[in-house]
Amino acid sequence: MKKTFVFIMVLVMMVSMVYAQGGKESEPEVQTVKFWYHFDDPETALNPLIEKFEAENPGIVIEPERISWDVYNQKLLTAIAGGYPPDVAQVKLWWQPQLVEMGALLPLDDYIASWDGKDDIYDKVWELTKYSDGHQYYMPLQMVILYLYYRTDMFEQLGLELPKTREEFLDVAKKLTRDTDGDGIVDVYGFGIRGARGGHDWWGTFVLSSGAQFFDEDGNSGLTTDKAIAANQWFIDLYRKHKVSPPTTPSDGFKEIIANMVSGKTAMTIHHLGSAKTLEEALGDKISAAPVPMGTEGAWTSFGDEENAVFAATEVPDAAFKWVSFLAEAENNAIWQKSSGQVSINKSNATSDADRFLKATTDSADFAGVLPAHSGTAEFVESLWPALMQQAFAGQITSEQMMQQIEDHFSE
Amino acid sequence: MNKIKRRDTLPYKMITPAMIVTLAIIFIPMFRTIGYSFMNYIVYKPTEVRYNGFENYKTIFSDPLFYSSLKNTVIWIVGIITFQFLLGFITALLLNKRFIGRGIARSLILIPWVTPSVITALMWRWMYDGNFGLINQILFRLGWIDQFIPFLADMQLALPSIMFALVWQGFPFFAIMLLAGLQAIPDELYEAARIDGASTSQQFFRITIPMLKPVILTTLLLRIIWVANSLDVIVVMTAGGPGYSTYTLPVYSYFKAYKGMDFGYSSALAVLLTILLMIIVSGYVRNLLKEER
Amino acid sequence: MKRHHTFKRLLTIYLPVLLIVLFAIGPYIWTFISSITIEKELYRPDFRFFPEHPTTENYTRLFSKLDFARNMIDSMAIALMTALVGLSITVPASYSFSRFKFKGSKVLLMQFLVINMFPIMLLIVPLFIMMRVLGLMDTHFALVIAYSTFTIPFSTWMLTSFFNAIPQDLDKAAQIDGCSRIGAMLRVVLPVAMPGIVSTGIYVFITSWNEYLYAAILTSSKVRTIPIALQNMIGEYQIEWGLLTAGGVLSALPVIILFFFIQKQLITGMTAGAVKG
Repeated sequence: MKKTFVFIMVLVMMVSMVYAQGGKESEPEVQTVKFWYHFDDPETALNPLIEKFEAENPGIVIEPERISWDVYNQKLLTAIAGGYPPDVAQVKLWWQPQLVEMGALLPLDDYIASWDGKDDIYDKVWELTKYSDGHQYYMPLQMVILYLYYRTDMFEQLGLELPKTREEFLDVAKKLTRDTDGDGIVDVYGFGIRGARGGHDWWGTFVLSSGAQFFDEDGNSGLTTDKAIAANQWFIDLYRKHKVSPPTTPSDGFKEIIANMVSGKTAMTIHHLGSAKTLEEALGDKISAAPVPMGTEGAWTSFGDEENAVFAATEVPDAAFKWVSFLAEAENNAIWQKSSGQVSINKSNATSDADRFLKATTDSADFAGVLPAHSGTAEFVESLWPALMQQAFAGQITSEQMMQQIEDHFSE
Repeated sequence: MNKIKRRDTLPYKMITPAMIVTLAIIFIPMFRTIGYSFMNYIVYKPTEVRYNGFENYKTIFSDPLFYSSLKNTVIWIVGIITFQFLLGFITALLLNKRFIGRGIARSLILIPWVTPSVITALMWRWMYDGNFGLINQILFRLGWIDQFIPFLADMQLALPSIMFALVWQGFPFFAIMLLAGLQAIPDELYEAARIDGASTSQQFFRITIPMLKPVILTTLLLRIIWVANSLDVIVVMTAGGPGYSTYTLPVYSYFKAYKGMDFGYSSALAVLLTILLMIIVSGYVRNLLKEER
Repeated sequence: MKRHHTFKRLLTIYLPVLLIVLFAIGPYIWTFISSITIEKELYRPDFRFFPEHPTTENYTRLFSKLDFARNMIDSMAIALMTALVGLSITVPASYSFSRFKFKGSKVLLMQFLVINMFPIMLLIVPLFIMMRVLGLMDTHFALVIAYSTFTIPFSTWMLTSFFNAIPQDLDKAAQIDGCSRIGAMLRVVLPVAMPGIVSTGIYVFITSWNEYLYAAILTSSKVRTIPIALQNMIGEYQIEWGLLTAGGVLSALPVIILFFFIQKQLITGMTAGAVKG
């Protein structure tokens, strides 16, 4: 009979699927390291590095799994919550508090202490990646530092100097914002602000450098002081009052920011080495780079990081550490950076003939900062900041309300 | 309806495979999730996981974002379903007629539906772009606007703009389902009506609509549920922004779960959304079940 | 007279069909144009509808370096399997719901609706654990099973309504002619319901073809469907716009071509004729 047949067929299928998978067992003497990573360039493969590693370390097999950035964090947390994390995964600093709280990570202190490569990594990088409990869970992988991009031709045409402070910056941005063809519509905007997710780096550059801080030395919030609220107001005014950023700002993401620079819709923006190739191809020597301007209290730019972490549940911690430390060694790290277009964490990879973009990056290293090591940081970055910023840009909430809500979020 | 004898197991046998599959793969996960909604369950705080009764629900009812998301969800459902249905129905009626190139037209209108959501979202985002977007270019060249409109950056325009993209994406569903429904109406009915001198519109209201009613009601019902839960296009196009102007309940629940890692709160939101949908469709379903002859 | 008729047809059929088709394919064509445009040409200050230097580079890259053909095969296999498994389970169930009155039928039918209301994203963690325990991670089966979570409830309801729309007299006539109930279903009702079954199958196929969230969590390197491959082009700091649009254009094609061949099934040849015969 048909229905019985269908029913049995489904049952048989389900059972056979379970069995089909059950038979595989890896050979005991080979240690397999499951490694999760993401790369922006979909054509890049990790194979050369893996081949090199496996040749140097017989008995260890790397099982790489490339995951799209969009779901990377979600997939990682699902795997941890489901009890099956990988052995090693590429991670971000702002996930660290959550991962540590979940007890998901293996402290690497002992391994690193006896690892030769540790001195070749910049001290600043060790400092930024160390967790607040004093342990080192993350193995550095690359540095991304944000700097200012500007149109040299427009600066020249208007006789403008590179801004060093935020007042100079505002002045320059206002002058660059202009109607070039006289039809009454602004054609060029001084500064492209990223108002969608990811734009907290733009915000931090001006707000965290002018008196606002997530936590002061005593661990109290420094977000709702008069100075902090004024700094935030100053940033909101760039869009609302001075209108030096395009009307599309609240919805502008990475793609729009770069598109606006390429087309000449904006004259300045903030970004990092990752977009240098695109911009240089389109604009040639009309585009250059410099460290971001200083705020009232000093300079701040975002340190965008990538690290690797070993998970506590791993059964092959030694092999896993070998792999993460392998990637952090100068020679191998240089290969990685070639694909990612970013900066190596190794002192010995520093080059003397840096182009203007790399120079802007290294010149900014001293004042590069990170968001607080707090379990609320991830949500702040992913959904809270964009929502609050866009509301403030629309005038729905005041600068004070915005800062208050951020403070509340971090004090929960 | 066939009256069946006591102990006649045929109807049960026929539904058994479907029941087994749903029980195994939906019910168990679903009850777990409902359980989460009564828990303080933040994924990164495994030591603090415990039952907290209706705590999550209490918080939700004093959460202004819940109410604004709820409002957006209602606008979202009503607006999208209305236009998807009307456009889909018109399309189905047209494609049911005989004309040259009908097969090709039927295939082409499927394009919006078969395009992966991520592409749909990115493409519409690109077309809405306030600096380079096709839509702005066209409106500008037609002289309808004198300044480019930042569709997705505007608190008032963002939601309708995404809804329009959703109408585009989903109208082929109605077209195909209703077309299939139209095909099941026997030609004899129309022939008889024509002989009786019924006009085209009389035929439409006296034959087409009543005969199509079960299919119309079911497609609407299923589509309401689907649209209410859909969030991928919103997430890619605006991620709920600007501000919270395109937050719907599923978007809120999704962000709470996977950005805030608060599974308890997120599950409670999901449960409320399900209850809300049950209320919306309950009267409807009662009717539908009565319809069965 | 004839001329007047033609004009009327133009106005009431061809013109509206043309408009609807244009609306449907407009964004697709724009995607195609983007895919053959060099990225920096996209952001020209002076707008062009068609690129100055069209290029097929993105398409070549998709196949030579990214193995897009394999993604298509994975997607096709999963979508077909889901549609077949789904239909073979739900056609009997729906027929039963439509034709028999039995204890609990309404409650059971309702439960399919309720589970369809539950946001699927929250089922992910439990499903992940389940697949892990069954050893199905990163297999085609994992997705076929996961997709059944939303296709089976949907299909059951949809098919039940299609069956309901078919007059019961058909079954009775067949049974009087000596068919068993199953025989009536197979020989008489199913052919009439074919457009409904086919369109439900199309629905399941397309939904599986486009599904993203489950695929992202439950599969990784061994199985990679089109939406996952496309999402991979959106990085942390970059979007591979050219590859993305090219992939978007290609991902719709197989379904459109497939549909072109089966759309004839949407026209039932039997209708009430079956009763008379």
